Amino acid sequence: MTAAWLALALAAAVTEPTGACGLCHPDVRVEHETSVHAREGIGCHDCHGGDPGATSTAAAHRGDFRGVPSRLDLPAACASCHSDLERMRPYNLPADQYALYRTSGHGVRLARGDDRVAVCTDCHGTHAIRRRDDPQSSVFPRNIPATCGRCHGAGASGESLEGEANPFAAYVGGVHGQAFLEDNNSSAPHCGSCHGAHGAAPPGVGDVDKVCGQCHSPARTYFLQSPHAAAMQTAGAPECASCHDHHGIRAATESMLESVCTRCHEAGSPQSEVASAMRTLFRGAEDEIDAARTLVDRAAAIPLYVEDYKARLEEARTSLVQSFPVMHALKVDGVEELTRRARSIAAEVESEVNGKLLERRWRRVGLLLFWFYLILTMVILVRYRRRALSEATR
Amino acid sequence: MVSRGEGGKRRSLSAWLEERFNLTEMFSFAASFGLFPAELDTSRPFNEALQEAIRRPLPSYGRWPRVLGILSLLVFAFLAATGVLLAFYYQPTTEEAYRSVTTIVRDVNFGWFLHQAHRWSARLLLVILLVRLWRFFFQGMYKAPREALWIVALLTFLVATHADLTGRLLTWNADGYWATVRALEVLYSLPLVGPMFSFLIGGPRIDSLVMTRFYVLHLAAIPFIMTGLFYLHFSGVRRVGLSAVARETRPVGGALKVHIYNLLILTALLFGALVTLVTLLPVPFIDPADPFATPVGARPPWYLLAAYGLLEIFPSAWPRFLPGLVIEATLAVAFLLPFLDRSPGREMRQRRLAIAIGAAVLVAWACFTWYGFQLEVGG
Amino acid sequence: MDNARDTGAGGPIGRRGAMQWLIRGFLSLWGLGTAALGISFLKAPSPENRPGEGQLHCGTLSSLPVGRARFVRHGADPLFVVRASDSEVIALSAICSHLRCVLQWNDETGTIHCPCHAGTFDREGNVLSGPPNRPLSRYPAQVRGDEIVVHI
Repeated sequence: MTAAWLALALAAAVTEPTGACGLCHPDVRVEHETSVHAREGIGCHDCHGGDPGATSTAAAHRGDFRGVPSRLDLPAACASCHSDLERMRPYNLPADQYALYRTSGHGVRLARGDDRVAVCTDCHGTHAIRRRDDPQSSVFPRNIPATCGRCHGAGASGESLEGEANPFAAYVGGVHGQAFLEDNNSSAPHCGSCHGAHGAAPPGVGDVDKVCGQCHSPARTYFLQSPHAAAMQTAGAPECASCHDHHGIRAATESMLESVCTRCHEAGSPQSEVASAMRTLFRGAEDEIDAARTLVDRAAAIPLYVEDYKARLEEARTSLVQSFPVMHALKVDGVEELTRRARSIAAEVESEVNGKLLERRWRRVGLLLFWFYLILTMVILVRYRRRALSEATR
Repeated sequence: MVSRGEGGKRRSLSAWLEERFNLTEMFSFAASFGLFPAELDTSRPFNEALQEAIRRPLPSYGRWPRVLGILSLLVFAFLAATGVLLAFYYQPTTEEAYRSVTTIVRDVNFGWFLHQAHRWSARLLLVILLVRLWRFFFQGMYKAPREALWIVALLTFLVATHADLTGRLLTWNADGYWATVRALEVLYSLPLVGPMFSFLIGGPRIDSLVMTRFYVLHLAAIPFIMTGLFYLHFSGVRRVGLSAVARETRPVGGALKVHIYNLLILTALLFGALVTLVTLLPVPFIDPADPFATPVGARPPWYLLAAYGLLEIFPSAWPRFLPGLVIEATLAVAFLLPFLDRSPGREMRQRRLAIAIGAAVLVAWACFTWYGFQLEVGG
Repeated sequence: MDNARDTGAGGPIGRRGAMQWLIRGFLSLWGLGTAALGISFLKAPSPENRPGEGQLHCGTLSSLPVGRARFVRHGADPLFVVRASDSEVIALSAICSHLRCVLQWNDETGTIHCPCHAGTFDREGNVLSGPPNRPLSRYPAQVRGDEIVVHI
């Protein structure tokens, strides 16, 4: 009886493709079975070597058994398949990850013998490796920041970047993190979007900034026209990050023109004058639009028909928003033109709505005047009528 | 136009005109709309005929209950004037109607005033015509020789309700659209006349064709009919004379002048009331019509609520045309009232039966109106 | 009240006459006021505020690639909305200026082609070849936010 049970247990434990390894390593077997490797028939022996059919440790751990690869050897081990074009082609997977990895910050350190860097399994998992488009995968885009944050987050062992001890936290608190993680905006960047995935490196001057320009192209276009571009290249300072920070990027507001420019330019200098001028322009346009919007809301509460006014205010706001990238060229004229347009539209709307509101107030006054006029008329008419009546009865 | 007996220039002008037109007849026609309560001798030259009419003894017209007729005409004239002016801006298509109305109300000088005045006058007109009808009934002013006047008054009220109904749709706002939908439901369910309505209006669904027809009805057909009805009424009054009331003053000469002043005072009062209402109580701005979203409390217009209530109170197992027949029968009786009422005189005590039935109908009408109103929640 | 008095002391008009004219003037204000109201009402508002000044919404800017055009139906006046650059949009009549056939946009060459007599226009509406000798009419087009709005 026990033999039958044993046989059954054996049969259950022996599965394709883990083979008999799962008899001694049941947890690992369970993990492995969820993975994409298992589904493609890749078993324990394909990575660890040994004999999958053997049922005793000695027999199993024989031959080309490699055991758990050391961290230093691990990337090469994965690359034995994943860099093989022929093998990867049926799955339409790229085969350059290992080559990229070796150029990355992680790879370079590893080559020097420092194994306190990320290797394949740190990001992709050891046995429970899922497809990238599986939402539970640790490299599913939405999960990538958390994966990187395991090392590059709080109290972790990862690199700290020029005083930034917790890039992960900074990213999550910044606009990109908010957009990507909270608003589910998939066009916002995650760590890999800027740093690269396998070739991840702390970007040098001119690297990430070029990446910023992929999405923020108007800003980059105007920036390249400005004296900042040449100056920063000469000084070796990062272009975008100098003002906008690396990971903890805040929404850009016109108050930045005061706080950020003074990091390099002293108050009263011609450059800070430019900053003040542009700040005044922005603020003026924003105030004008806000005032118009308040007025339109008041009119809408009466209620008055305001859809066309709202559409025009959207135009004004569009003009204003268009002026923000233009600001990067550091020329007041460009900004001035767009903000002037925004202001004039908003001012037009304001004056029209004001006109309507004023006209409504004047109606009561008109009514009183009319009553006065009506009463006088009635007095005259009644007098004439009485006279005609007295004449008639005569 | 009264000749002042002055220099040759003036006299020759009226003489010149007199040779070419029958001025007396023209004036008689124009003034027959309540302006001039007596007939002019159209065979005489205008000046003579007018002088004679001024001196002719006429009963005094200055009794307040009598004012309803001329008041309704004044309100109608006001509606026509404001309506024509509004039509200078209004666009009668389903896409543009709402926007043209909001432009009138918001951007055109005094557009708000004309628009609101038009709406308020419309409401006033219906109330005045209805009160006038009940006054005719309770004072027995349908007895011979006034039968035609009664029929005309009833017709005027009914046609005015149609003007109101067609006008509501034209603003293409949520209230107007849905009120029209509900109203058409009621109208189409009447036997015999229902299909006629449907034919005239252009179908059960409110689309751009129906809109065009409503526009034509509201601007041209119905005002034309109303003008005709008013003319019939006033020329009928000229022929049969004013109804004699106890304690009537004897006819006096020179009453025409008093009548003209009465009219002027009335016009001034009416205008004053309208301006006040329009400025202090404007009808609020309503959202555009959305055929896919029925607002809470969408009902037929108030004058159709009784019919609606009646239609709904009949059990649904009974055939639908039965309540419709009741409504039509009531209307038929109302039209034929002068011929059905055989009582000898106009006094109320002589017409007890008629008065009783009339009061009962009035009460029933009010009850059904309330019932029809509360069939919908809210709004 | 008035019969007792003569055309009184003073000038040719006298007090009674003056009062009469005053009253007439006062009452005529009714007529003048009404006329003024009517005339003021009839003064047509400026073109931007006219009712029915059609603003046709022609889809979003982001869904129209640069250099491409979109055909927009509008009753008897269909039009093309051409995205000339990142932010610039041209609205052209899609009715041929030759003999009023409805035009077609050619994606590959970026030109507008008439199937009737093989007239060709460039994406600004200028004639490139064929019988048409007038360019296509343009409508003012705006981009509001991401929405293309054409004033027809």
